[in-house]
Amino acid sequence: MSKTSQAKPRARKGTPGHYLLRLFIAGNGQNSQKALANLRSLCQQHLDGCYTIETIDVVEDFQAAIKDNILVTPALILVAPLPRVIVLGNLSDLPKVLAALRVSDGDS
Amino acid sequence: MRGKRYPIPKVPTKIAGLDEILEGGLPRGRTTVVSGGPGSGKTVLGLEFLCRGAIAGEPGVLVTFEERAEAVRLNAAAMGWDVAALEKAGKIAIIEARFPGEEIVSGDFDIQGLLAIVGGHVKRVGARQIVMDALDVLLRIYGDAKCERNELSRLHDWLTDQELTSVLSVKTYHDDYQGSQYEFLDFMADCVIRLDHRVVGQVATRRLRVIKYRGSGFGTNEFPYVFGERGIVLFPLTTAELTHQPLGAKVSTGLEGLDLMLDGGFRCASCILISGSSGTGKTTLASTFAQAACDRDEKVLYLNFEESKEAMISGMLSPGIDLRPSIRDKKLLIQTAMPESTGSDNHLNRVMETIDSFQPNHLILDAVSACVRMGSKQAAFDFMMRLISVVKEKGITSILTNQNNSNGRIGNDEKLSGIGFSSVVDAVVQLRFAETEQEITRQMLVVKSRGSAHSNRRQLYAITDRGIEFPDHPRRPPGRAGKARRKDGGK
Repeated sequence: MSKTSQAKPRARKGTPGHYLLRLFIAGNGQNSQKALANLRSLCQQHLDGCYTIETIDVVEDFQAAIKDNILVTPALILVAPLPRVIVLGNLSDLPKVLAALRVSDGDS
Repeated sequence: MRGKRYPIPKVPTKIAGLDEILEGGLPRGRTTVVSGGPGSGKTVLGLEFLCRGAIAGEPGVLVTFEERAEAVRLNAAAMGWDVAALEKAGKIAIIEARFPGEEIVSGDFDIQGLLAIVGGHVKRVGARQIVMDALDVLLRIYGDAKCERNELSRLHDWLTDQELTSVLSVKTYHDDYQGSQYEFLDFMADCVIRLDHRVVGQVATRRLRVIKYRGSGFGTNEFPYVFGERGIVLFPLTTAELTHQPLGAKVSTGLEGLDLMLDGGFRCASCILISGSSGTGKTTLASTFAQAACDRDEKVLYLNFEESKEAMISGMLSPGIDLRPSIRDKKLLIQTAMPESTGSDNHLNRVMETIDSFQPNHLILDAVSACVRMGSKQAAFDFMMRLISVVKEKGITSILTNQNNSNGRIGNDEKLSGIGFSSVVDAVVQLRFAETEQEITRQMLVVKSRGSAHSNRRQLYAITDRGIEFPDHPRRPPGRAGKARRKDGGK
């Protein structure tokens, strides 16, 4: 089961500059909920509305986990822009996550 | 066979010899850890357990953290298991759980994703057993011992909840075993099996040891194992009670004179040692017996570790023994091997496979002294003890030749090149040279013959183009001949 939350479309989905983020979580697990919260606040502060978050609960949908070869949760996949990046963990280390997503820190 | 106790429910592995060591199999619905170095056979053990289970109707799941699924299928095919077919039939699911290796880690995470995937497959095939191969690779992504423990606990709890009979394999190196997460794994698991691959005297040997088994007894020794034609083969000699067949009726040695010295001949199912220095005619004596046995329609397996089949056949033509018709009639099978070509465990496995397919009445091993070249005296001893034990259980007569340069000094004889196994030898025939000023002659002496009277005379013999001949007519054992004959009912 996946939920999609999209901010106001300044850069439309599929257009350059738009971030497609897929977050794999496991139910209401502590780390999963932390990751979701961290990701939301990160996007709001740094991506200025140009993002889509897809949340996939592996407990509900293990086929999606197989498809993306996700073995641990939470796991974040930067689907677009390419190249694809995978970040494991509850995303608590903000500078590290920003660097991984190729978002510059002062760009808000 | 001993009466087996099953203190807890068990799942037979159906791996040759392993269930005897585990006194029935792996703990049902519980976790077993198999650890060992690279090349020790952890993957094969897990795979064999799964395949044999699946074939017998117990579906299973393999989670491989290191090897690709295709490599697993190929490895299984080498052992004769068609994993692809089992997958198609829904009996086995292979999950390739490999990390791409380029992830970035930020903050805590857990293996819920993996458990969700595995759980989905378990449900799909209705798995009762699961093998997780190379769990150490999964653990490596946690750089932290506490996280590893938490995840292992989570995994263990999940497996237990699912009531899966689990085999978790971990790669270990001798140096880093202590103080690592694997110690916790050993503590957590209900059964721990250690595989060891070492080199002794330039020959690779493999040993299996059960470290612990909650709620069950087990064979505590180290057991040698090899990769046979059909998977792992263990030789759990020391778990078995002595179940040797009693000595059987007497059979002719092929020499009338020696039959008289032995009060009738060798006893079936006994172990006979022919000892003597080089050139005394040990192979000739053994071949004479083989020829006579084949003439009686009995089957003989001749293991030659000293010379090739062709060399032996042509060598025996000189004393007038033509082995070719018996070979043609499939009564005599000569199996040759260089002792140093492989380890004693592989030699043993090869002989066992031949014994199973050929079903001989008698086995000749030429020569014990060559077996030391399998690696070490210990390796040769293991080989001999296990081989003799098996043939005695099957009621097969065994004739061993041994090159001994003590030339007839009694007492040195049973040391057998330093490999002491005289307790399993039932009869000893000693051949030696006797030197006078004019000539060298040969003498034959029966040193011992369990369960039978025997002559105590050194008997002169010669090797002629008609075989072994006794110039002086040998006599029955003095004084006891009459008694023995009456006991045997005049046979």
